[in-house]
Amino acid sequence: MTDYEELYRQRKERIHTATQLKEPDRVPVLGSFGYFTARYYGINNFEFLFNYEEASKAIVKTSVDFGYDTGAGLSTLGAMPLTLAFLGEYDGLVPGWVNGPVHDILGVRYARFPGRELSMDSPFQFIGEEYMKVNEYDALIADPQRFIAEKLLPRTLRNLADPGSPHAMATLFKWGEERRKSDEAGAKLSKKLKAYGFPGFTSGISYAPLDFIGDFMRDIKNVIFDCYRVPDKVKQACEGLRDLIVEMVRISVEGKPRGSIQFIPLHLNEYFSPKMYAEFYWPTLREVVEEMIKLGVTPELFYEGQHKAHLETILELPKGKTISKFEKTDLKAAKEIIGDHSCIIGGPPSSLFFSTPEKIDTYVKDLFSDVKEGGGFMLSPGVTVPEGAPAENVKALMDAAVKYGVY
Amino acid sequence: MTSEENIIDAIVDLDEPTALRMADQLIKRGVDPVEILEKCRQGMSIVGKKFETGEFFLSEMIMAAEIFNQVMERIRPELTKNSTESKGKILIGTVEGDVHDIGKNIVITLLEAEGYTVVDLGVDVSSARFVEAIKEHKPDIVGMSSLLTVALESTKKTMDAVTEAGLRDSVKIIIGGGRVDPQAAEYIKPDAFTDNAALGVKLIKQLVRGEDP
Repeated sequence: MTDYEELYRQRKERIHTATQLKEPDRVPVLGSFGYFTARYYGINNFEFLFNYEEASKAIVKTSVDFGYDTGAGLSTLGAMPLTLAFLGEYDGLVPGWVNGPVHDILGVRYARFPGRELSMDSPFQFIGEEYMKVNEYDALIADPQRFIAEKLLPRTLRNLADPGSPHAMATLFKWGEERRKSDEAGAKLSKKLKAYGFPGFTSGISYAPLDFIGDFMRDIKNVIFDCYRVPDKVKQACEGLRDLIVEMVRISVEGKPRGSIQFIPLHLNEYFSPKMYAEFYWPTLREVVEEMIKLGVTPELFYEGQHKAHLETILELPKGKTISKFEKTDLKAAKEIIGDHSCIIGGPPSSLFFSTPEKIDTYVKDLFSDVKEGGGFMLSPGVTVPEGAPAENVKALMDAAVKYGVY
Repeated sequence: MTSEENIIDAIVDLDEPTALRMADQLIKRGVDPVEILEKCRQGMSIVGKKFETGEFFLSEMIMAAEIFNQVMERIRPELTKNSTESKGKILIGTVEGDVHDIGKNIVITLLEAEGYTVVDLGVDVSSARFVEAIKEHKPDIVGMSSLLTVALESTKKTMDAVTEAGLRDSVKIIIGGGRVDPQAAEYIKPDAFTDNAALGVKLIKQLVRGEDP
């Protein structure tokens, strides 16, 4: 019989050791299964996003069957404006996110969901739009939280479009009720995964201030124009949002043990040259990260896309206090530059999961010969396991990690 | 230094106010719009090269394209009167299920700056619309753009629809986007693929010339 408590302890220790830039017993393998979970269990994406019970069953089955070091998870869309709008007023909403039922209740304009705007088997999509005009920077700078609550929410959430109306107030009640249900489902799932020996990995989400503007307010193209046209306003807005985001992190860890990991997905990073990155993106992101570390949080930064040009900036962060996940950045180059400084997470691109177990074996073998030595590395799908990937290939990644990953 | 040279520099320096002021001055002075366009093309060509060599990143490309497009807006009414010969026709769109268009739009701007005719189908384009548009416009090259991983499936579907319609041999097809990689190309089997806008333009030029990229 499997000793799940022992398995839990081993996995937790393995991940912790790698995070501390040391060599664990073998390279940890992080589960990032996305919609593969739904397909593997036999439900469509609609059920996966709207039915907590079925989704939880799918997650437990996928986690147990493939036996990575962390389990699968519920799929939700980060919704930072929802968190920041009520910060300090009602902390039960930290961190904010959108799943199927919440999407129905709020009517989120920046998201399209399967079984609603999309076919039953589509993944949800984030649709960036211009929700704030360029001449509104002054209002955002003057009071970021008020601007988000009073301008951004009504513009981005159909059912809060008329603040103070019976419909909007009822929407907030419904959202609160649903939030409780989903929190309970989430807690139940974590307990179940723990019983099967899976430790959690991240608990919480944070944001780069400029990404907040790009994702939720101005859209990517416009925020880039703004950097050229109204550079000082962009910087001031980032500073205001930085303080709000740091406050969110503080609230999220209040009264909890230190050492939690929080996820920061970066979006605009690959758009910028080092010069633009240093001027507009990095200063307030660095400050957010540094403040998180002071609060006892280990930030896991997901450097989406190609981050090669900015790798050196990671060295400006405190050593051994951050985790760096990469998507398309060459992991060997990353190891050479930041390997002694920040724990690296990376792995195969989605398309490799459609190849063969042999190709995945070779990939892991080659990768480990580049990045394994000295520890401080965790294997994970580059983004997530893509839906529809053959199960044998998903298994092959773990098999290869066991084969080549022992220290 | 003449204004014509200045407008090239202004585009390369991403100096929007100067570039637009120069354009207005040149138009006012009665300079042939074809000549203004040519200068802007030179500017964009330098921008594209800087992107290829890694000096410029996407933000510089996006800003340069914005400046170029604004100058184009100003001179387009004059240009149509004495249109120049097109170097080739490109049909391009973001595949079904995906609405991302930053990469596609950069490619379009660079192609137009090079003197190609571009038919832009927009975003979330169904395979049926691609097929209809190929029949209608008879392009030299078809570009299928996407950002989402899931859109690769839709790119494959579009490719299959073009083949089923018996059009595969009449056009060259390039796929482009953030998640396009050698494995994706092996699966979809286009004539060329890229995850880089400037490289995409280079590949399209090779395809138009009938070269194997």
